[in-house]
Amino acid sequence: MKEKIGVYICHCGSNISDYVDVDKVRDEIEKINGVVLSKTTMFACADSTQREIKEDIEKNKLDGLVVASCSPTLHLPTFRNVALRAGLNPYNYIQVNIREQGSWAHSDDKVGATDKAIQMIKAGITKTFHSKALEPIKISALNSVAIIGAGIAGLRAARELAEVGTKVYLIEKDSFVGGRVSQWGKMCSERRAGESLIRRLYKKVEEEDNIDLFLNTEIKKISGNVGNFILEVDVHPRYIKDNAKKERLDKLIEELDPVVNDEYNFNIVKRKAIYKNYEVAIPDIPVIDLGAFDQKSVLVEKYKDCIDLNQKTEKKELNIGAVIVSTGFDPYEPEKGEYSYKENESIVTFQEFERIIELNHDKEFIYKGKNIKNIAYIYCVGSCAESGENQYCSRICCTRTIAVSTHLKEDNPEIQNYHLYRQIRTYGKQEIMFDDALKGGDIFMKFDDDDPPIVKVDNGKTIVTINDLLTDKETIELEPDLTVLVTGMKSRKDSKDISKILKIPVGRDKFFNEAHPKLRPVETVIDGVFIAGACQGPKSISESIKSALSAASKAYSLINKGEIELEPTLAKIDSKVCDGCGECFDVCPFNAIIKVENQDKIIAEINESSCKGCGICTPVCAVDAIDIIGYTNNEIKGMIDSLLDVE
Amino acid sequence: MSNKELKAKPKILVFSTEKISDLAIDMAGLLKMYYPATAYTIVLPCSSGVKPQWILHALKKGFDGVFIAADGTDCPYSEKCTKWTGDIVSKTHLMMKEEKILPSRLKMAAICSVCSEAFVKHIKTFYSELSKLKEEGSNNG
Amino acid sequence: MDNQDKVQKFDVMVIGGGIAGEEAALNLAKMGFKIILVEKDYSIGGKMVHLSKVFPTLDCSACITTPKMSETTREPNITIKTYSEIKEIEKSGNHFIGKIIKKPRFVDEDTCTGCQLCEDVCPVSVDDQYQYDLVGRKAIYIPFAIALPKVAAIDLDNCILCGACEKVCPANSIDFTEKPEEILFEVTSVLIATGFNLFDAGKKVEYGYGRYKNVIHAMQMERQLVPTRPFNTVLRPKDGKSPDNIAYVLCTGSRDKSVGNPICSQICCMYSIKQAQLLMGALPMADVTIYYIDIRAYGKGFQEFYQQTKDMDVEFVKGKIAKIEEKEDGNLELFYEDIENGGKVKTAEHDMVVLAVGLLPNNEIASVFKDEELELDPFNYIKQKDKLINPALTSIDGVFVAGTAASPMDIPDTILSAGAASAEVAGYIRSLK
Ligand SMILES: Cc1cc2nc3c(=O)[nH]c(=O)nc-3n(C[C@H](O)[C@H](O)[C@H](O)COP(=O)(O)OP(=O)(O)OC[C@H]3O[C@@H](n4cnc5c(N)ncnc54)[C@H](O)[C@@H]3O)c2cc1C
Ligand code: SF4
Ligand code: SF4
Repeated sequence: MKEKIGVYICHCGSNISDYVDVDKVRDEIEKINGVVLSKTTMFACADSTQREIKEDIEKNKLDGLVVASCSPTLHLPTFRNVALRAGLNPYNYIQVNIREQGSWAHSDDKVGATDKAIQMIKAGITKTFHSKALEPIKISALNSVAIIGAGIAGLRAARELAEVGTKVYLIEKDSFVGGRVSQWGKMCSERRAGESLIRRLYKKVEEEDNIDLFLNTEIKKISGNVGNFILEVDVHPRYIKDNAKKERLDKLIEELDPVVNDEYNFNIVKRKAIYKNYEVAIPDIPVIDLGAFDQKSVLVEKYKDCIDLNQKTEKKELNIGAVIVSTGFDPYEPEKGEYSYKENESIVTFQEFERIIELNHDKEFIYKGKNIKNIAYIYCVGSCAESGENQYCSRICCTRTIAVSTHLKEDNPEIQNYHLYRQIRTYGKQEIMFDDALKGGDIFMKFDDDDPPIVKVDNGKTIVTINDLLTDKETIELEPDLTVLVTGMKSRKDSKDISKILKIPVGRDKFFNEAHPKLRPVETVIDGVFIAGACQGPKSISESIKSALSAASKAYSLINKGEIELEPTLAKIDSKVCDGCGECFDVCPFNAIIKVENQDKIIAEINESSCKGCGICTPVCAVDAIDIIGYTNNEIKGMIDSLLDVE
Repeated sequence: MSNKELKAKPKILVFSTEKISDLAIDMAGLLKMYYPATAYTIVLPCSSGVKPQWILHALKKGFDGVFIAADGTDCPYSEKCTKWTGDIVSKTHLMMKEEKILPSRLKMAAICSVCSEAFVKHIKTFYSELSKLKEEGSNNG
Repeated sequence: MDNQDKVQKFDVMVIGGGIAGEEAALNLAKMGFKIILVEKDYSIGGKMVHLSKVFPTLDCSACITTPKMSETTREPNITIKTYSEIKEIEKSGNHFIGKIIKKPRFVDEDTCTGCQLCEDVCPVSVDDQYQYDLVGRKAIYIPFAIALPKVAAIDLDNCILCGACEKVCPANSIDFTEKPEEILFEVTSVLIATGFNLFDAGKKVEYGYGRYKNVIHAMQMERQLVPTRPFNTVLRPKDGKSPDNIAYVLCTGSRDKSVGNPICSQICCMYSIKQAQLLMGALPMADVTIYYIDIRAYGKGFQEFYQQTKDMDVEFVKGKIAKIEEKEDGNLELFYEDIENGGKVKTAEHDMVVLAVGLLPNNEIASVFKDEELELDPFNYIKQKDKLINPALTSIDGVFVAGTAASPMDIPDTILSAGAASAEVAGYIRSLK
């Protein structure tokens, strides 16, 4: 039991004190037995206050500390460090949240907010009374990282980590590296072909001994803790022999007909059952699509030097210290009938449009035999919706559409672009492209959020009607040769599987959620699991690269010392009470409960390095032998009593 | 507020979770989505770690209701979290029956890390239900 | 050189102690590098420490910056020099050598306790630049409430040398004879995080900033909305009345060739929307109208935030402001092109106008590089030589850039940019070994 507790009540500028009568709170708290010091402060987190708290602890020999301020997610480490510097065990410090769950949540009820603050602080003091001095558990950390997804973000992070001496396992689900950027062809950022960016990065990756690339590989399960994860993966076969000769493979492919929808080209063309994503895909080895390949075909025998249909999926376990998830995004796929999509082949999505340009080898811009002159772009398809999942802005589509359309026009001066938009978001330096497009004679028309253009198909022709706000809502009718639906970014279809395995929370927009949007944009709430690139939300290439590099530096700073400190708030089994019934063994998700012999009886014991302190085992025990340190019966019941303690 | 007034208001104990539901409750404050100030939280690592005896203790000592803001499918520890927390609720309900406490005084709902709106709605509804019970003087079944 | 043994050696010099510099310095320190962080101002923290709340989460800005600031000062691998200027940097083999001048603040940093007794006795009062001239300060002053170091400084330009502070200082910290200190350094890599300049609102003459009292700029509004706000509410400068019909003029000094800044500043749409939301809270009865060209709500959670603000009845008018005129009562008449209604010129009256000033490059650091040129891009930001793959790389090998020194950006992007820069610096240093 503590005898000398110090309590600080923060104004938080005025964030708290505007709604909570902090002086009254202090007066109430002062009266509590064991509280020897109770102060209000303008900013508890300010450096000068931290110094003051430290001095107070030293001078008054405090054995417990309470700061009532903001949410512990923000400042728990700050004040634990203050305690540590003053020689007080950090676990004798308790933070009480009177801002997010006090002044802000109840600014409609100042009296209520003040009362609640008093009760919450009383409970915090009770918790401090019972608190024990604890030492963090130190575990060793492996200097190796698994990067999931070998798109531009994953490749860049891999290279960076390898350069500073970290072992990297780069895991890609597809048979080729490069992800989406490789699909964006010659019209990609700054007129550099996406595919050549990938090639450049891959060269570095290839040179590094420190990177193991796993293609056709899916993650299945993760166990262990930050610093020492075990990642289980399935490596699926390519069905191509390691020593197959390129010329022979080329011949083999020549003998096949394109029969399958080519997903890489968004199904606008067909591909063969043995294929590469594109001519110079990386690696330069085809893959067999077993579902589409006729396994009884004579080719199997004829090319037995190249192909091996008996290759099996291999299971592998990777020992790693941290994980970076860089699984990217899916382009939005319009519903059938949305802007008459799929009702006419001249209505295409932006991703299809990019591939159409890429696959067009004529001098002029020909699509489906037609020379394309007039192109209408309808912006914000699947983004900025009033309701539903896609309320967010996809960030890059305005800039990309303007960039691609002006490049296309530079190459084919006869083309006329019509941009039907809501707001043009060429933020920052990209504004210049918008300016150039205007100067180049592109026509911009703006529609109201509630009055989108109407696309109709009539006798094989596409008619687009818009009420243009820029010309006093004049109704304008266009008959474009090609109508491009400017589709945005969505979280990947399979991102649910990833978030389930790695336990990464997702936001309302279904993208992975960072730990703090301002300060910790590449960290997740799961220690040792980082996110990079567009799996966190729409991003351009350079923005994805920045987040990849950030994730690499965070992962590296975490594991490079070879040691990580873990919270000591773990489960504890009272060996005198445990009767060895075994109920708890099955519920522990981390298999952290082990059987040990203790004075002729078998009882349960906690394996500290696997226990994560979740407490799932505690209510299960029939004899109540298990407690989580920091959440014992005394602490919780004591807090309940304090919350109710009104004179 | 006089103590009498304070005592007249239903008090709710919320068990929230460090990594998931407490974030939503924080965000409710951030977004100024108001809810009754007599709802107090105790933060735990996971909602599957609430001991039935704590709930009983709270209800017997004077809380009008207990709300478990469960991790649900977002639980970072266990896929079966919903089931485990559900088991705790059923077990506690049985114990409450023995003690002649109305089962409606214990509630549970999954609150994801961004489910602030859902949280506030649950608390407001629960609060008005408990107010009715309090008026009727039928806290115990 | 005979000064050889006086040269201080570090792995990395980080220039600028804003959020970009702090984040990068901390990342690098945690990787084990030794850092010197040079800040020209009295305190680290950059612009962010002066902001009210930040979009789109409305976190209190001071609350999320101060932990970063204290962490930076406390990190053993980081040496901080505030109120210091870099005189020159020169390449010497694989290293950079150069000189820093630590300017005198006439108060001893180590002994001053920040008690503010000196402020009470100082007879001089001038405009407070940290409050963007909204209120006054003394000639000896603590820069601002959460400054780090929280130490007084004397502004000798305004000091009348009366010596009152010297008498009252309990710590005997005041020293009028303090001289500039010269520091020689040798570092392996340099990271520039010198941030941005605010567009000078007075340059847009037709908006009347400086002439009309009730026309203020966004940073001044930001200061009126911070938790430690000087007036505890929002006031019209002219008569101290609380305004009830406020206009925002977006793109002031951005997307505007007439002032030589054709690019978009990337943050002013969002900070205006944020301020509008905060105003709805501070002055529930007030109307807020935002005059815009396009609303650039592009980041994570931004569009939702914009939508939410529309639902709070903040009015959005797509219109370019041609000019502003002041009326006798101090109210302002805005002449604008109503773009969504055929481009007719309309007028509207408001009782306070906030100019959403944009960002301008701060590139003065380029001049300290002596032998090699630090190149700028067409918009005068520090040039990113290989923006797509190595975003922090500049034209000089070993010199990197982070944050708004390279381009306009908001805080989340600044943090990412700083993270990227730290990775690139670390990679560069390893590559030399
Ligand atoms: C009115 C307004 C409101 C805003 N609101 C938001 C918001 O709500 N959310 C958001 O995300 N962003 C907001 N921003 C943007 C935010 O301020 C910037 O993104 C952020 O401050 C950039 O950080 P930085 O470190 O790059 O630059 P700065 O904050 O400018 O820091 C640069 C530092 O370098 C120092 N320095 C400069 N030159 C030198 C030199 N030669 N030698 C040594 N040191 C030097 C400076 O003194 C300063 O300390 C807002 C901006 C404004 C103007
Ligand atoms: S100079 Fe002296 S009087 Fe002024 S703040 Fe510092 S310690 Fe206080
Ligand atoms: S961010 Fe908005 S206000 Fe700022 S320059 Fe860009 S468009 Fe104008």
